[in-house]
Amino acid sequence: MVPKTGTAERKPAATNAPSPLRSAEVPSVDRFERIVDEFQRRLYGFALRMTGNREDAEEIVQDAFVRAFRALGKMNAEQRADLRLQPWLYTITLNVTRNRLRSKRPTNVALDSLADPDALLNNTQEGPEGPEQIVERGTDLELVEGALLQLPMHLREAATLRFIEGRSHPEIAEILNQPIGTVKSHVHRAVRILRRILGPQVGRIVLAEEPVNAV
Amino acid sequence: MRCSDVEALWDELRGGLEPHSEHAVAHLRRCKDCQAVYEQYEGVAYCLTCLPLVEPPENLVPRILDHIKALRNHYRSSRSDSIARVASPLGELWIAWRDSRITFVGIDRGQDDEAAVAQIERRLSRPVRMAQAPAWISEAVDDFFATGRVDITRIDISELSAFEQAALRKAAQIPAGEVRSYGWIAREIGHPQAARAVGQVMARNPVALLFPCHRVVDASGALHNYGYGVEIKAKILQMEGYVKVGASKAAGRL
Repeated sequence: MVPKTGTAERKPAATNAPSPLRSAEVPSVDRFERIVDEFQRRLYGFALRMTGNREDAEEIVQDAFVRAFRALGKMNAEQRADLRLQPWLYTITLNVTRNRLRSKRPTNVALDSLADPDALLNNTQEGPEGPEQIVERGTDLELVEGALLQLPMHLREAATLRFIEGRSHPEIAEILNQPIGTVKSHVHRAVRILRRILGPQVGRIVLAEEPVNAV
Repeated sequence: MRCSDVEALWDELRGGLEPHSEHAVAHLRRCKDCQAVYEQYEGVAYCLTCLPLVEPPENLVPRILDHIKALRNHYRSSRSDSIARVASPLGELWIAWRDSRITFVGIDRGQDDEAAVAQIERRLSRPVRMAQAPAWISEAVDDFFATGRVDITRIDISELSAFEQAALRKAAQIPAGEVRSYGWIAREIGHPQAARAVGQVMARNPVALLFPCHRVVDASGALHNYGYGVEIKAKILQMEGYVKVGASKAAGRL
């Protein structure tokens, strides 16, 4: 099968729509309410996918906006005019998320064991709980959410930004401050691991239509 | 080209834009294994795309905005003043303000912006930054030059000492076209021995013109001591309609 841009591009296309704020206005603390209004949904969704926890996501988004407000207040007009607001907000949200997860990490054994992604590949094939058992446990979407959370942080970041947030490789490179090659490699490794977790039938997973509040 | 190389290119091939994609696509057309992997990768991407966008709780934005509002209030009370050049009949003035009140007025001495800003920052002991003067500032300046009076509720000298504030407020009561002595202010504010201290307060007045320290003179009526030079002081008083009478007579009145 020759790959083509198909249904998987549906959502990213929608989130790529340019906003009036981004294209026309120099961001400033005076109009910060508009920035909050414009980006809160997106950043909350992002933080939720990264943490799998609503409370964490709420606090992360609050912290991120407060940090952004402070930082914006210290910039002069020229710096603000040059600022690329959306990637910048993602970066701040990501930093807050990393700090938060780092401080919680000791309780999260699953993530710790995944410092080496190859270990995961073996675990999911031979562990006590294979993909089939996981499937039986919940809906397909819960399975996908859980699989994402099993990824090590740097791979989860890449996969979330690429496929859930619909960002391009150069945008992700900017957000993560990484070379594009590293981004591509992380995206690929994330997809490889997710394929293993979700099982070879992943292409045929039938997804529930209604939203599932699984996290 | 090996299967693993082609696999790694999957995400780029989806866009079909990579320069080396021709070889990969050619391989892909032949290789059943790669096609299977591609289908699975595509399935993974599709699954992620289908994850619902969970709405934040309704109180999230109000909570964030409350936080921002508190920060903004804090910044207003503690952070840098705005500053701008404002035209006046005396030439350009430097005016600083924060929270809708004037914190500094000085007469431009022809130095560049950077030097002026640095000077004013030293004077106020806090950072200032260049901004556009709001309309109410120009109006306050115009009012002052038209009437000689100023609405002192529009001036913020809250960081000065109680004595300094009292002396400047008293000076603001001297009508345009008249002068008083340092001793007069000292007596009026209940510190009759403090004429010299009043002189120092006038010399350090951060809000020139609007707090009319130029209307405060030596007991002899001499116009010495003005931050911007005695000539400017004389010029302002002249603009305000002050006619200097004989020194001895003035001494009696003051």
